[in-house]
Amino acid sequence: MIYVVLAFLAVSLLLYVLLAGADFGAGIIELFSSKENQAINKKTVYQVMGPVWEANHIWIIILIVILWIAFPHYYNILVLALHIPLTLVLLGITLRGVAFVFRYYDAYKDSSQILYDWMFKTSSLVTPIFLGLTMGGVVSGDIINPSQMEQHSFLEVYVHSWLNVFSILTGFFYAALCAFLASVFLIGEVDDFSKTMYMRKASIATIVVVSLGFITLLYGYFTNITFVVDFIGNIYSISAIILSGILLFPLWQSIKTGRRIISRALAGLQIFLILFAATITHFPNILFTTTGSISILEQPVPDSVMNVLGISLLIGGFLIIPGLFHLLKSFKLIKILER
Amino acid sequence: MENIDAARLQMAFTLIFHIVFACIGMVMPFFMVVSHKKWLNTRNPIYLTLTKSWQKGVAIFFVTGAVSGTALSFELGLLWPEFMKHAGPIIGMPFSLEGAAFFVEALALGFYLYGWKRIPEKFHWFTGIIVGVSGVMSGILVVSANAWMNAPSGFDYIDGEFLNIDPVKALLNPAWFTQALHMTLAAFTATGFAVAGIHAYQVYKKRNVELHKKAFKIAITFAAVAAMLQPLSGDLSAKDIAKRQPVKLAAMEAHYETKKGAPLYIGGIVDSAKQEVNYKIEIPNALSFLAFGDFNAEVKGLNDFPKDEQPNVAMVHYAFQTMVGLGSLLMLAGIIFFVAKFKKKSWFDLPKFWLLFSLLAPMGFIALEAGWIVTEVGRQPWIIHNIMKTKDAVTPMPGIVFSLYIYIAVYTILTIAVTWLMARQIKFLNSIKIDQA
Repeated sequence: MIYVVLAFLAVSLLLYVLLAGADFGAGIIELFSSKENQAINKKTVYQVMGPVWEANHIWIIILIVILWIAFPHYYNILVLALHIPLTLVLLGITLRGVAFVFRYYDAYKDSSQILYDWMFKTSSLVTPIFLGLTMGGVVSGDIINPSQMEQHSFLEVYVHSWLNVFSILTGFFYAALCAFLASVFLIGEVDDFSKTMYMRKASIATIVVVSLGFITLLYGYFTNITFVVDFIGNIYSISAIILSGILLFPLWQSIKTGRRIISRALAGLQIFLILFAATITHFPNILFTTTGSISILEQPVPDSVMNVLGISLLIGGFLIIPGLFHLLKSFKLIKILER
Repeated sequence: MENIDAARLQMAFTLIFHIVFACIGMVMPFFMVVSHKKWLNTRNPIYLTLTKSWQKGVAIFFVTGAVSGTALSFELGLLWPEFMKHAGPIIGMPFSLEGAAFFVEALALGFYLYGWKRIPEKFHWFTGIIVGVSGVMSGILVVSANAWMNAPSGFDYIDGEFLNIDPVKALLNPAWFTQALHMTLAAFTATGFAVAGIHAYQVYKKRNVELHKKAFKIAITFAAVAAMLQPLSGDLSAKDIAKRQPVKLAAMEAHYETKKGAPLYIGGIVDSAKQEVNYKIEIPNALSFLAFGDFNAEVKGLNDFPKDEQPNVAMVHYAFQTMVGLGSLLMLAGIIFFVAKFKKKSWFDLPKFWLLFSLLAPMGFIALEAGWIVTEVGRQPWIIHNIMKTKDAVTPMPGIVFSLYIYIAVYTILTIAVTWLMARQIKFLNSIKIDQA
């Protein structure tokens, strides 16, 4: 049953990074757009993401709940060492969600829209940066093991674990990845005029993502971060990451020829490969402290808990996945009919 | 401020807000589908306008409820890591099922909000029902997790270790039913009176009267029924607490000395130092009867428990009095509504009638918050009743007070914003002309 639970954990992580990522990205694109393009983006985001955006963000709740039920020891270290960036992520999620609804559901469309838009755009950028910082913190090797926390200062335990160059680079890398995903997803949803805009955004995002990824890995390698050194040395990880880079060529081909299903599938596959590469290197050790890595499977919960969780997840999955699929399909089908 | 006080305040603060948002997001869909059904049956455009404007309210409150709920799911671990490390696996089941129910709700809401004229009419209406039902399911499951903290079960506590975990037994702990029933009724009462009150005020002010009267009737019917059932559920809860958490009951009643045929105090000022309640109304033997169904039963007093295992008596007592007082008031208001509906139709033409219900708008929520203060403060000093103390569960990270300040700032702004937004919705609603078909 532990494999069922791990599979759900992996799927939730992938879907959150992918779908919420595209959501964040849409806001980032709007932030870096001219006034005219901002208006186009605002409309597109409402039409395309409106029906599903709530569902996109629930994956993080599923993720957290699985972690605390099935891997409490691992979760405990996360919430202790990464308290501050996680709180900042939360504030970002809160402000962003609220701004999203306000800007589409306020009864009057007046100057208050300027405030909602501003809130939406900035929190769309800041939230993924802090999410990336958190993920970077998990692998940067600067987390202090809770058993040794008392021998360290406040800064060492609660700040240096995530506020370091490698984590910051990871944060920006993830934000760029979000912008990339959003532009690839949105290209297929708009008319020819807006399409040119999103293609331009997508090409800029591609360049930024590839360079930031490269810089992050190089920095990690030359400052001897265990995770990165082993990552580069691991045949599976490095092949996965190179493959995900190569996939950019067919991706761009499919964008140019307007095959949107293929382009989205390819972008999804790239995210899968990046996450696969990051976890496979040391699996199941996916948290790095100053004194060595920690396994997610450490101090496992009793079978009774794991079984009940696995069964709940399976039942939930049977309820949710067809519904989600149907929701996506309904609104896509309608779109095509409208044309 | 001590770290633990800051952490408790932050938790209390986020919960106080989340409960309001969550209740409205959970109950309003029911009002919405009733109005929607009336539109489908009568094709009276007023009902369509009302449904669409309530739907915006649902969307706004669903999101604020969802984001404050996401924040809470993190805060449980961030503020109380030691609690979650042990309790997480045991009470995981209600939370994982709640995640599923919440997901279903989000999907159904996606269909509902964006489905107008796009999906078959009946199916579209039905997705609204799913929104409401899954919302109530989520609420019940989360309350079950809270009930477990009052009635820990589904494990053996041996030498500080939680062994032989049975998550199903933890989910169906002895307190889950009474708490979930009480909370669901409270959610309908509080939201119903709040929504009805807002529309009653519009009628009082003679704005778009026909629409607001229809809205009022839908909301108040739910609220009045729930308010009239609530005392029965309260009685079940009191008897359950008397058995399982006698110290909480004693604090609720400010009952210091163990006594047979204990009296019930109504109101009064608690003097903790002298262990007295001054200026109260005393009803002989009533507490024994309410707690055990026997006028001569023995009710344990606070003095039977060690000082460091007692909650803040004054706070729990006042909160309890507030809850019961306002609950009774709302039940009375519910009766007034039914009398007006079935016997005295002329009351609907009296401005006083509408003013009364406008004034009652916030009362349900005040009672509901007071009830949660009774539950939560009444459980102290324990985070898990008789197993783990709150002070042993708090995060070792210093400076939580700063996080508290940020939360207070953000949630205050959020509340102002949502209130302002609702006011604009109503203003907009009053400005449109509805063509009678």
